[in-house]
Amino acid sequence: MALCLLLVLGLWGWQAAHARTQLRLGVFVGSSWDVPSSEGYAVVDKAIESFEEEHPDVDVTYVSGIKPEDYSEWLAEQILAGTEPDVFLVLDDDFEAYASMGAIRNLSDLISLDKGFDEDGFYPALLEYGRKGGNLYALPVECAPTLMFVNKTLLIREGIEMPDENWTWQDFYDICARVTRDTDGDGKLDQFGMYGYDWDLAVTSNGGGLFNLERRACNFTAPNVEQSVQFVMQLKKLQQGHEVTGREVDQGRVAFRPFNFAEYKTYKPYPWRIKKFSNSEWDCVRLPAGPSGKNVSPVSTLLLAMSDRTAETGLAWQLMKKITMDPEVQRTVLEKSQGLPVRREVVLKAAKARWGWGASGSESVNLDAVSSIMDEAVSHPKFRDHESVIMMAENAIQKIYAEDRPLSNSLHKLQKEVNAYMQR
Amino acid sequence: MEIDLFLWRSLFKNKSLAARLHQLLWLYNGLVVLLLSGFYYVTQHKIIEAMGAHSFLSALSVRPLPADEVVALSLLAFCVLFACGRLYHRQDITQEARYLALLAETIACLVVMRTLSLAYDGLVLLVVADLMHRYDGKNRGGLLLGAMLLLFFLADYNMLSFAGGVEPFDAYTSYYAAPARGALAAIKSGLSSVNVVLFALYLVMLIQNKHQEKERIQSLNEQLEAANEQLRIYAAEAERTAETRERNRLAREIHDTLGHTLTGLAAGMDACLVLIDAAPAKAKEQLGRLREVARHGLKDVRRSVKKLRPDDLERLPLREALSHMVKEYAETTSMEVSLVVEGWPEHLRQDVEEVIYRIVQEGLTNANRHGHATKAEVTFRLEEGRLHIGIVDNGVGCKETVPGFGLKHMQERLCLLHGSLTCRSEEGFELEAVIPVGQGNKEETHD
Repeated sequence: MALCLLLVLGLWGWQAAHARTQLRLGVFVGSSWDVPSSEGYAVVDKAIESFEEEHPDVDVTYVSGIKPEDYSEWLAEQILAGTEPDVFLVLDDDFEAYASMGAIRNLSDLISLDKGFDEDGFYPALLEYGRKGGNLYALPVECAPTLMFVNKTLLIREGIEMPDENWTWQDFYDICARVTRDTDGDGKLDQFGMYGYDWDLAVTSNGGGLFNLERRACNFTAPNVEQSVQFVMQLKKLQQGHEVTGREVDQGRVAFRPFNFAEYKTYKPYPWRIKKFSNSEWDCVRLPAGPSGKNVSPVSTLLLAMSDRTAETGLAWQLMKKITMDPEVQRTVLEKSQGLPVRREVVLKAAKARWGWGASGSESVNLDAVSSIMDEAVSHPKFRDHESVIMMAENAIQKIYAEDRPLSNSLHKLQKEVNAYMQR
Repeated sequence: MEIDLFLWRSLFKNKSLAARLHQLLWLYNGLVVLLLSGFYYVTQHKIIEAMGAHSFLSALSVRPLPADEVVALSLLAFCVLFACGRLYHRQDITQEARYLALLAETIACLVVMRTLSLAYDGLVLLVVADLMHRYDGKNRGGLLLGAMLLLFFLADYNMLSFAGGVEPFDAYTSYYAAPARGALAAIKSGLSSVNVVLFALYLVMLIQNKHQEKERIQSLNEQLEAANEQLRIYAAEAERTAETRERNRLAREIHDTLGHTLTGLAAGMDACLVLIDAAPAKAKEQLGRLREVARHGLKDVRRSVKKLRPDDLERLPLREALSHMVKEYAETTSMEVSLVVEGWPEHLRQDVEEVIYRIVQEGLTNANRHGHATKAEVTFRLEEGRLHIGIVDNGVGCKETVPGFGLKHMQERLCLLHGSLTCRSEEGFELEAVIPVGQGNKEETHD
């Protein structure tokens, strides 16, 4: 009897000693920036392969096939049932809620214990994005800054110099005013200054500060916001009521087009390149600075967090570091994903190698410029209703543009509505 | 159904109404905990099935516990709560253990309530009922109040949620359609109300019980008082009886001795009256005999009186008893005895007094009997917490001191008091006894 017990115990011990540790990862397939993506799990697979090489007794698994639009609900279900993965992606809208309810782990203590954690290697805005109340809750995996793309061909044709990195709204407006004209003489405007440059981008490069998260309030009546809305209104007036379309951009008839890096990445390579940029060369510059702001770009970030309930904190932390900090894995972000790596060294190294799309590297992008833009980029505020609030404002401001309403009053009304919504 | 009845009977047999209600309270709260945790379980699963997890979580400020953990944890904590409650009621545990049990009970109560999202605070009443059950008035008032305040403070959802703690019950009910939501709210408040009613009933029963007990104690007190009165009467009667018996003894003694002698004397004197003229010599002889009779009678009377009188030591303080004894001894033996007191201890225990008295008595007896002394001196001296008693006589003394029964007895008595006895015989006999009478004496003499 005792022998049997000993045997069972021994077997159990042997099994426990040789049991492989399971680490679960929560990811979705595709891009978080609404762009088509072909190599869904390339980054994750690369990270897992490298991680499992370093930790031979650990199995990292993930549930495949979850689409970005289903991911939030899937994760919520897992958290509610207590079966969430050890490490998982967190969407912007959920970050705040999960951090404050303690569903994702405060990483501060892990960081303070980990001497190998190099905070400065990340672009500052990205790390800031994973913070709440001074504590880091998530690390960035990839990002997508908004850059101003310039139709170089068009500017050369018009005899205009490329804007430098300190260019202002005035420069922007002047160029737009110069290029907006009727080139074929049919009495209709057919060349335009900009497409897709909206009031929210203008606010970002004009001092920002649209939301006060502590008071849960917005600031649409602030002078810099009003100025921004007005500026975009003036730009639109140049177009004399013509709605510029994406097709006109593709045809090379628009000088400026702000692009999310991810959009640009999917926009530019083959076969899109052939179809869309047939006869224009594009380059990217910073956003123009408003009178109260600097040449800063907004950036959106994909965050990776750790479950507060994970049994394998140490391994989960290693896995998080592997995904977010490993140069090889981050290099895969540049090559296989739509975003930009979050580590400066990876971007700069790729810039040095004149990294570009396609085998020949012919379609290179100025990654040095992108990196310096990233160093000063700002994240948009994240709170639960951010997206719906921006939608509300978008609708109201489009109405202002369309109906040419008195600006001050309308913004005042908008502020009241948004505040009521945010504080409900 | 039969099993239920059996359970019911076994639970509630031979118990006071309050104790039964207490058990009912436990049973009821257990069912409520089961019901609530079941509700959470079902609702969470429904939410997940209906793909409403994200909107459910969005409405919360804290992460809810997974459904199976809610059920397991709440039931486990309730079992702990129950076990602690039982322990708390055990008679054979120390006060510390009882306080510990109470603490554990409070913590378990909080765990259950926390697990159930503070939707049900009836458990607080359960703990309070436990406290009340053992409430004995001694320092418990503050404890009771403190525990109650603490529990209600911690249990109040609004206070906790203010500090950012618990997901609300309403978040779960809001999953259901409006009519069901209303019903759920009604059921929830109904559960609380029933519990409050049970608790109030229990309190009433408890108070009634206490009242009955009070009455019982009062009646017992009255009985005791009556018994005491009876005893007092008996004691007085016994005293009277003893007095009567003593008086009878006295009468008998007088009758037996004095009466007898006096009767004899009277008869003898009658004879003398007749004889004195006729035969004076005979009368003389007769008178001589009568004198003997009278002396004998006197002796008898003395003996009787002595028998009736208590020992000197019993009725006088030691010092007076000693001088009395010395004086009496000197009178009866025509030995010249002097008592010199150079120092006298303040307080002496009764056994020490007894030993001192007996030593002096024995010493003097020895001086008279063995030393044939004509003079003796008894000295008391106090030195460093020790009492020295010296008895010196001018008798013949003895070459070698062989402790007889008297000396040996003296030594034994002194030994018990950690004292010592020395004797010397040069001219006459010297005896010195030393007795510690200091502060330490009291404890030392015990062993």
